[in-house]
Amino acid sequence: MERVDGYAPIREYALVGDGRTGALVASDGSIDWLCLPNVDSPTVFARILDAERGGSFQLEPTAPYEAERRYQESSNVLETTFTTAEGRVRVTDAMTLTDITRISPMRELVRKVVALGGTVPLRWAFEPRFGYACSNTRIERRAGRWFAHAGADALVLGVCDAGEGALENGVVSGELRLAEGSSALLSLAAANKEPAVLPGRDDSERRLERTARFWPEWSGRIRYDGAWRDEVIRSVLVLKLLTFAPSGAIVAAPTTSLPEWIGGERNWDYRFTWLRDASWTLDAMIRLGFHDEAHAFFWWLMHASRLTQPRLQILYRIDGSVDTTEIEVPELGGYRGSSPVRVGNGASSQVQLDLYGAVLEAIWVYTRAVGRLDGDTGKEVAKIADYVTEHWRDRDNGIWEVRSETTHFIQSKALCWVALDRACRLAAEGLIPDRSDRWRAAADDVRAFIDVEGWDEERRSYVRAPDLRELDASLLTLALLRYHDPRDERIGGTIEAVERDLRHGPYVYRYLGDDGVSGEEGAFLTCSFWLVDALARGGRVDDACTLMEELLRLANDVGLYSEEIDRGTSEFLGNFPQALTHLALIHAACSIAEAESGERVP
Amino acid sequence: MTVWGAVAGGVVGTIVLTSTLRLAQEMGWTRMDIPLLLGTIFTDRRGQASVLGYAIHFSNGLVFALGYYAVFSAVSHAGWLFGALLGVVHAGLAGGVLVTVLLPAVHPRMGTPWSDAEETPLLEAPGFLLMNYGRRTVIWTLLTHVAYGAIVGGFAARLG
Repeated sequence: MERVDGYAPIREYALVGDGRTGALVASDGSIDWLCLPNVDSPTVFARILDAERGGSFQLEPTAPYEAERRYQESSNVLETTFTTAEGRVRVTDAMTLTDITRISPMRELVRKVVALGGTVPLRWAFEPRFGYACSNTRIERRAGRWFAHAGADALVLGVCDAGEGALENGVVSGELRLAEGSSALLSLAAANKEPAVLPGRDDSERRLERTARFWPEWSGRIRYDGAWRDEVIRSVLVLKLLTFAPSGAIVAAPTTSLPEWIGGERNWDYRFTWLRDASWTLDAMIRLGFHDEAHAFFWWLMHASRLTQPRLQILYRIDGSVDTTEIEVPELGGYRGSSPVRVGNGASSQVQLDLYGAVLEAIWVYTRAVGRLDGDTGKEVAKIADYVTEHWRDRDNGIWEVRSETTHFIQSKALCWVALDRACRLAAEGLIPDRSDRWRAAADDVRAFIDVEGWDEERRSYVRAPDLRELDASLLTLALLRYHDPRDERIGGTIEAVERDLRHGPYVYRYLGDDGVSGEEGAFLTCSFWLVDALARGGRVDDACTLMEELLRLANDVGLYSEEIDRGTSEFLGNFPQALTHLALIHAACSIAEAESGERVP
Repeated sequence: MTVWGAVAGGVVGTIVLTSTLRLAQEMGWTRMDIPLLLGTIFTDRRGQASVLGYAIHFSNGLVFALGYYAVFSAVSHAGWLFGALLGVVHAGLAGGVLVTVLLPAVHPRMGTPWSDAEETPLLEAPGFLLMNYGRRTVIWTLLTHVAYGAIVGGFAARLG
């Protein structure tokens, strides 16, 4: 793997995490991204956003090498094997899970090096830079360990059998040369607003073993026997890493400002929970048998949105708070010069009507699985449906959060119809107060608007908006969320139009028109998987399988996907790894399995 | 100053505190829901949790009133102003320790900053000064506890 100006290609990264935060490990052994203590906290390693100033934790052979990586089977523990002319070593990277039987670090990242054969000289370099590299990071040696601290944050590096290391210009570095069969351990223990816990080697190794046992046990609970099982398991493991365990929220991605086009300004912070993803998340968790996670996310969803109900905010912080103020961080230069680097997300102030459909669909899916909805929640749900009745005629920014003029996005209107339809169904089941006459009448009005204003007879397809007579891949969700029967002529026509206008091989673009932000962007991987899903539901199962196979070949070496991809180079673009892409993969696989078996998965 | 005065103040003060917080919740000023937080220690059914939580919360209101009475007795003084001052201390204790540190530590369904991938808590942790439930929660916690303290102090001083 070659770095360009110090930057690794995004597809060269793998994610390790503990359900609270996550680290991106490049295939050359450098940890280039880590936020502490939580996934939405400021960074301590941000080399991926500034190769010079961002900070990293490198561990790499000093001789020419080849690297091969894999996750341990059905696990989020990463193994990188470096092979040189003189020998082989394996580096195991993991964020350990807390051992409640004895005091553990608040967060811990462990790097274990095992010599598999011969001798491989390695160099490690620890360069912490707290607070998006803006804080004054101090490093000192105490009690046989290296302490880095800034304000209320501390990071303690323990080095076992890997040399002592020396501090120079804010970087602690050392070298090691292991004999065959021997091992070394580097551990990072993090503390925030509390005294740091100093783990011994035995403690760290015990937690590493415990963590390695946990992941296959957890993923072994999956209820899915369709095709591409390994890829579905990898995707659900990614979702678990993106789930913030203290609250149950799921972040869209663990990174900020990885660009949607190299050198462009489409750089956004995705370390928030989008309500839009709610229905996909709940449905995926329930389809695959992870009911505890579905239950936790549903509780988070209903609790977090209480401050604004019946109006819903587009995104929430993982702790449930609503302040997502967007600022720029000029101290970081951005991935390969793609500036600005943004922290926070200004999209939260937008109007996006589609999310009401996503939330009501999520509630419908959830209640079908658990069979109940408590009274207070039922009243809140009915108020949300009332809100949709009153506001579906509003202009909005749409699912893609365009920063151009608001308009009447057809996909948003269709999701309003979904919201009202699901409210009627919930009322029919006696789960929410029944105002279905009003909701059904509004749903009929919405459908009339969509089918008249949003249909283009010449194209034989729905269009982006009445005043934007172009295709939008989000219209595929009309099939996925059953606005029409997926085999309906209008849905079939829209699928064909998306293929005609927006598809290039396995690559599908969101849209080609203006969105108020300058610059280009890559193909949107979620839309490719949505197309697979729509094709399967529409009866074109062979086409769906062919496209699915093509898309699976686009994953990186450890099965992860970003948000977007460059059609020319297959380079990943956008934040990484991306929850929505992996959710769409899961649903596409499930839909194909259902289409082939004629039964709902599992 | 009598213990029954303090207890009566505890009843009225808890009603005022609970009603005001409920109002703030309905107005969208906070997501703080003390009965739900308390009741979900025992059940994950919202309806049952709320009923149970209200019972626990009222009991707590009476117990705290006895604590206030102990302080009044120790300094041989009670009154609405002194009670309000104790209410400030009470709010600090509730927002800084009881609900933010102790409750997550014993609550089987609440996340903590240490919850990891092995856990799937149903309730988010309140955070420092309960601010995870909305920034204005800290103001409402303070106001309602000051009102509670003033009522307990006033009742303790005047009844009996």
